[in-house]
Amino acid sequence: MDIRKNEFYKKWFKNAWTYVVGAILLSVFQIITLAVTGNPWGVSGVLANWGAWLYQAVGGSVDKWYYFSSEGAQKTLEAGFWNHGGSMRNLGIIFGALLATLFASQFKIKKIKSKKQVLAAVLGGLLMGYGARIGFGCNIGALYSGIASLSLSGWVFALFLFLGAMVGSKLLVKFFM
Amino acid sequence: MAEKIVDALGEACPVPLIKAQNAIKEMNVGDILILQIDHSCAMKNVPEWARKEGHNVEIEEVDDGEWEIIIEKVK
Amino acid sequence: MAEVSNTETTGSSIKRSLSSRRRSSRKPKKNMLPYGIGLLVVIVIIGLLLSTKSGLLGFFWLTGIGFGFILQKARFCFTASLRDPYLTGSTSLTRAVLIAFAVTSIGFTAIKYGAYIRGLPIPGQGYVVPISLATVIGAFMFGIGMVISGGCASGTLMRVGEGFFMQVLSLIFFIIGSLWGAHDFGWWKLHFMLKGKAIFLPDIFGWFGAIVVQLLFIAFLYILAEKWENRKQA
Repeated sequence: MDIRKNEFYKKWFKNAWTYVVGAILLSVFQIITLAVTGNPWGVSGVLANWGAWLYQAVGGSVDKWYYFSSEGAQKTLEAGFWNHGGSMRNLGIIFGALLATLFASQFKIKKIKSKKQVLAAVLGGLLMGYGARIGFGCNIGALYSGIASLSLSGWVFALFLFLGAMVGSKLLVKFFM
Repeated sequence: MAEKIVDALGEACPVPLIKAQNAIKEMNVGDILILQIDHSCAMKNVPEWARKEGHNVEIEEVDDGEWEIIIEKVK
Repeated sequence: MAEVSNTETTGSSIKRSLSSRRRSSRKPKKNMLPYGIGLLVVIVIIGLLLSTKSGLLGFFWLTGIGFGFILQKARFCFTASLRDPYLTGSTSLTRAVLIAFAVTSIGFTAIKYGAYIRGLPIPGQGYVVPISLATVIGAFMFGIGMVISGGCASGTLMRVGEGFFMQVLSLIFFIIGSLWGAHDFGWWKLHFMLKGKAIFLPDIFGWFGAIVVQLLFIAFLYILAEKWENRKQA
């Protein structure tokens, strides 16, 4: 029997799910996450820790930075990558997506095509990283989790995220494609 | 009945969709656009847009993680 | 939006020339399922190793796998949900994101209220943060960044897993940008965040009122999105 012709396989592993199925399942995982860990899902705060660990690895020190000065932040940094829940979750997202593409037989390495893409990735990455730190999070922590936590900050974040996306669209069409 | 191939391989969203929209604009009714993509999201949003516009759409998986979206301009 | 899912490879009725057709039947497709099963074994082993250290660590790993799998399978993209209404006129992802907001809000409020009436500390209040000019500027920067690099925070991680080199690069610079932002955080806090106020909706409307107001607002946006899509089409 060829599993690739199996209807269950095709429905759940080969073909894409609808957006609404995605929305419901993400919600279920969000709610379980809050119930078990006492905090909603966040992504970008973890990346600041990754930055700090890499900076320390090349001999830098963040001990005097206000952002990492709290006792909790220091403890997290000392415990390291493999003992940090958020890091494991972010790593899990990468592996989970890889797993999904392999199950669908759709994995393909997509190389960078042009200098424009390099510039877009560098600028976009920097803007997101910096923006997420001063905005208390990214599309997950500040937007999704913020709004679901009944915080007004989430809606304010959403409004200006939308305006930023409009400007970004203009820039993208003009300079990056 | 012309046929136009647009290469959007290695392009992330929304670039494939914008390329398709621009190409369709310059084509005549009955012409066929073949959009080559390898971005899984484009496989969803390009057909969704084209069907809503009323064009005929087909998707072919030509290789692992590589698709051709064939759009026939109807109106 | 439902019908899109099961039409990935359709039969051909559009006539296309032979020269372009020949290319599509060039090589037999590989079956990557064995690699997938191999990866699944690795994922389980890592999960078990982490769980021996701490159950919570294993939980984080497992939910990460779940989030990544769901995001990829549903092609769920927060960037597109905010970008497409303006750029392409499509709001199907915007509406899906609103559904996620609504469902998660209900679940979160139930958990929070449950803790509140039992006199326990309300979980997740660290995500109710002060609103200041830093929120505005941060969100605006993030919005520009996610559109030009083609992926938000979760989207970038997901696309790294899908094999996008461009997103590997933007992840690296996301990390560098985060470090930069963390470095300047003290300045932003002193000048803006301390002047801002955190607003928890139940403090204003009461618990029941807050969730009702929230759901009504989401419903309003949903209808708006639907109208917008049809308007653009006409």
